Amino acid sequence: MSAMTAPILETRRLTVRFGGLVALDGVDVAVGPGETLGVIGPNGSGKTTFFNALTGLYTPAAGEIVFGGRRVTGLEAHAIARLGIARTFQASRLCLALSVFDNILIGMHARRTTGLADSVVRRWRFRREMGAALERAAHLLALFSRELPGRGFEPVGQLPQIDRRRVEICRALAAGPTLLLLDEPSAGMNPEETAELMRDLQIVRAEMPGLSVIIIEHDMFVIEGVSGRVVAFNYGRKIAEGSFAAVAAHEEVRQAYLGTERARA
Amino acid sequence: MPPLELLLQQALNGVMLGVMYALIAVGFTLFFGVLDVIHFSHGDIFMLGAFAGLSTLLGLAAVGLRAPVAALPLAFVAAILVTGLVGVLAERVCVKPLARSSPLMTLLATLSLGLVIRESVLIFYPRGADPKPFPQLLPQGGFEVGGVAIRYENLAILGIGLAAMVTVDLIIRRTRMGAAIRAVAQDPEAAQMMGVNLDRTVDATFFLGSGLAAVAGILSGLYYSEIHFIMGITGGVIGFSAAAIGGLGNVYGAIVGGLLFGVLQTTSAALIPRGSEFRDVVAFAVVMLFLIVRPRGILGEQSVERV
Repeated sequence: MSAMTAPILETRRLTVRFGGLVALDGVDVAVGPGETLGVIGPNGSGKTTFFNALTGLYTPAAGEIVFGGRRVTGLEAHAIARLGIARTFQASRLCLALSVFDNILIGMHARRTTGLADSVVRRWRFRREMGAALERAAHLLALFSRELPGRGFEPVGQLPQIDRRRVEICRALAAGPTLLLLDEPSAGMNPEETAELMRDLQIVRAEMPGLSVIIIEHDMFVIEGVSGRVVAFNYGRKIAEGSFAAVAAHEEVRQAYLGTERARA
Repeated sequence: MPPLELLLQQALNGVMLGVMYALIAVGFTLFFGVLDVIHFSHGDIFMLGAFAGLSTLLGLAAVGLRAPVAALPLAFVAAILVTGLVGVLAERVCVKPLARSSPLMTLLATLSLGLVIRESVLIFYPRGADPKPFPQLLPQGGFEVGGVAIRYENLAILGIGLAAMVTVDLIIRRTRMGAAIRAVAQDPEAAQMMGVNLDRTVDATFFLGSGLAAVAGILSGLYYSEIHFIMGITGGVIGFSAAAIGGLGNVYGAIVGGLLFGVLQTTSAALIPRGSEFRDVVAFAVVMLFLIVRPRGILGEQSVERV
């Protein structure tokens, strides 16, 4: 991270503890506007904990998080979300019984302005807001697939994995975030779906050049394809940082992966 | 076999009781849906609503305001505010601090709070041990359709109860707060990631559910012309049973459960010899049967509209 404009997100000595266990240990990470940062590391290395700390689900034991020039450490999760950090989860957290549109509308929750009175008395206001929201949802879906907006009223549970992931990304984008956190978007996908996902991420990049993205991935192919810079975690610490090639060649990273990946194979 | 008119008459009475039960049951189901807790002081909050309504009516009468059109709405508003605030307080004191401990702790804490509310009314309300006459403010008289007597009073109770339910339905399905309540019920973490304020949503849920109990409390006073500090025990047990029959967490299930319970009570009173003495026995026996046959409730917790 050399000459870079002021970062949109910066963590300083970020530490998260669960009782005696140090899940995240003094992590310094910075992301610039419009940058895509890849996060790799073996299972249990603290990647998802890092996301949970950034989004306010976990309260850091030490260190700080600065987002958009503002210290957000200790803010409540919803307040951080409203400042412009959106995320997807490793295991899809969509409401499967609800329609595609409903799921995306939830993402716009913080933007809604109409209340009970409007839904009863000033119905035109309610309708106009809903109409605009639906239009935006359809527009987001259309970025990824031509058929998806047409299936907007179908329950998410009826969609294939790749489309569910797209809906989840649309839901995260619906709030108009400046930082998007993707937690292993390729989880549970076959190689073709993963290739489609990569194409989708490149579309997001092209359509929203100002959006910063942090992506956790196990699939090195995806990491190499979408991220400009990569950090590697192990045992809650950042062990390497730099270009994909440099991090992949890093001695400690190789050890961390060989140690676990071999054992699993 | 009793005559058909009697059965119809009893079914109608049952629907009216059922509306009150449903209003209590919706509270139970909302709290369970959003926080996965069973709020056992809810029955006493229903009783508190009745007393708050009565106090407001007596206060208004003391300053000369006796016209039902003006006094009743004010009593409803005041009672909803009182129970709403007590409900939020109950959640802050007995539910939230125990969020990470065993559900048994919440159960004990809310049960104890119910006792505190009940005993407080007994001790601090003037002559709190006595049943309190509730002013008859609804229009008297009525008409008859095919041998079934329909009283204006009953129609009014039905109408107010239904209006309260429709309002809740609108709040849950059509408002921003309603969307937040549904989102938190589905997945509190993901909801927060969408910018939903968890604490405020939980507060709103408890205000809403407890406010509904106040409506039920006043309706109960109007129906029986009398309220009593122990009315919350039966009210709570029946409301909880109704919510369980309908499927805890499901608002429409709670309404169906409440109505079913009311109709079961009154029709069993008509169908079984000396039935009015056994109406609770029959109704609760059916509840037990339901829990055995359909443990997830009539509509089930996981249905589409799980709150």
